[in-house]
Amino acid sequence: MSKLLSVTEAIERYVPDGVGLLAVGGMHLHNNPMALVREVVRQQRSIRRLLTSPCGALNADLLLAAGLVQEIATSYVGFEHLGLAPCFRRAAESGTIRILECDEGYITHGLYAGAGGLPFIPLPAGLEISDVPKVNQESYAMTTDPFTGGQVLVGAPLRPDVALIHASIADARGNAVLGGAHFVDRLMVQAAKTVLLQVERVVSTEEIARHPVGTTIPGFLVQGVVEAPGGCHPTASHGSYNVDEEQIKVYLSMVGKEEGVSQYLRQYVTGATEDEYREKAAQRLAGLRYGDGLMSDALAGQGN
Amino acid sequence: MAVTAGSVTEGSVTVGAQTPDLAFSRSELMAIELAAHLRDDDVAVMGTASALPQVACRLAQLTHAPGLWYIAGGTCSVNPHLSPVVASCCDFDLLRADTALPLSDVVLLEGRGDVLTVFFAGGLQIDAYGNCNLVAVGEYSHPTLRGPGTVGLPFLSRVGRVLIYTQSHNRRTFVERVDFLSGPGFLGGPAEWASAGLSGGGPALVVTPLCTMDFDPESLRMRLVSLHPGVEIDEVRDATGFDLLIPDAVPVTSAPTSAQLSIMRDLDTDGLLKGP
Repeated sequence: MSKLLSVTEAIERYVPDGVGLLAVGGMHLHNNPMALVREVVRQQRSIRRLLTSPCGALNADLLLAAGLVQEIATSYVGFEHLGLAPCFRRAAESGTIRILECDEGYITHGLYAGAGGLPFIPLPAGLEISDVPKVNQESYAMTTDPFTGGQVLVGAPLRPDVALIHASIADARGNAVLGGAHFVDRLMVQAAKTVLLQVERVVSTEEIARHPVGTTIPGFLVQGVVEAPGGCHPTASHGSYNVDEEQIKVYLSMVGKEEGVSQYLRQYVTGATEDEYREKAAQRLAGLRYGDGLMSDALAGQGN
Repeated sequence: MAVTAGSVTEGSVTVGAQTPDLAFSRSELMAIELAAHLRDDDVAVMGTASALPQVACRLAQLTHAPGLWYIAGGTCSVNPHLSPVVASCCDFDLLRADTALPLSDVVLLEGRGDVLTVFFAGGLQIDAYGNCNLVAVGEYSHPTLRGPGTVGLPFLSRVGRVLIYTQSHNRRTFVERVDFLSGPGFLGGPAEWASAGLSGGGPALVVTPLCTMDFDPESLRMRLVSLHPGVEIDEVRDATGFDLLIPDAVPVTSAPTSAQLSIMRDLDTDGLLKGP
């Protein structure tokens, strides 16, 4: 049965206002599911808790810009070599958001625990040394190792209610190829109760079946598939196009001052439908396309 | 800032030959300093915005350490070919590599602790004991500067040697004690370090645009090793917010050779290491 939806239908149907734990895939300015994220902003869905990959970027900062996020569980929100995340920083410094401070190890292992139904997951010795677990006792705890009797740091499972994920291609049943690095997107898919995919291109099941090893997301874990060519813009889509750094700098400059936030949102998000956004972005994307070589390698798959 | 090696003298020693080709940037010198510390049997890992240590690793592979392995966290590319060098650790071009792992595999290996021998790190704050802070400056609940977050730095406690690099050598960055411990170094010094009993070897080297530093084996405090060409001791002292250990004789950091510069520039076609 087809799971194809428009971006509007996907958010209307699967992201309730006040969604409990919303996970956004991608890492740094790569594979951010921006078509879905922008639609969350257009439909003004408030988010009780947002979860990023080990490195969140525009996917998180835009939702913070829109004032939709009450709490964020993250180990990083920033723009890597381009600078700090203006809205994350402002919200943290003014105390308008609750941060569940995490580290990369916990986010990864916590998703694994969520995916596998584990009640909690022990973390490597030494991770208890940093201040991170001390300021986030909702995600981390110390307990007794039943085998050695020693103390061990454990993490709570991460079980997103909804995960928004970008993939390169998928068929209508949700079988999908991540045409580049996996980051923790597969773990998010495995751990989430509902998965919405945005893809560059919807292909036939016959075409997908040519790459069974590279098709690392099975359709039975996916509820909705949205065809959104260019949908990661202004972030990169592995195998398709690179980061639009110029447009990222426009974002950083406009939202860098609180007064600029509403203008940015009007101009680039709420003032246009996703189809209209795509038409405008198409010209910019033309200059950012990758060659074909790596994509065909990527289709052969990372095996895990 | 570009440094023209041929025009810089330290005492009576002329640094480099009088060749315009040997003009080098501080970032190029930093990459060479990091490379010199890497060994043929190392497995190194690096994370966010790591073009500089990636170049250091590739340079080491192409010179004295052909057996070195290095993992660009993010894409988790193993031995990325850096054709070209890219600014983001998640760039698709990093997948031109020997192999690429899922990030979760690298997280497992960081936890395992006996596979990865070198971890590159940095921070908004770096303290006298090599502890790093990427989370918050000031009170955690009301920070004066909220950083991006710690990513994988808590794993520093489990890795062989930590190599710290930063483009910011000033008193805001180099502080006596970090406000928030996000990447463990030698903690509060010898007593605390010994009682923690961590499996990692702790910080080994700190490279900045001004100088190269290491850690005194007894006090575990940061110590000046060499001054980059054209930098005076007072400049480093003034830019460091704690009492840096300064030996009686401090050499000048060796200037790059034309072979080193040539290797790096063949990789760095976009000139990411050209400035500052």
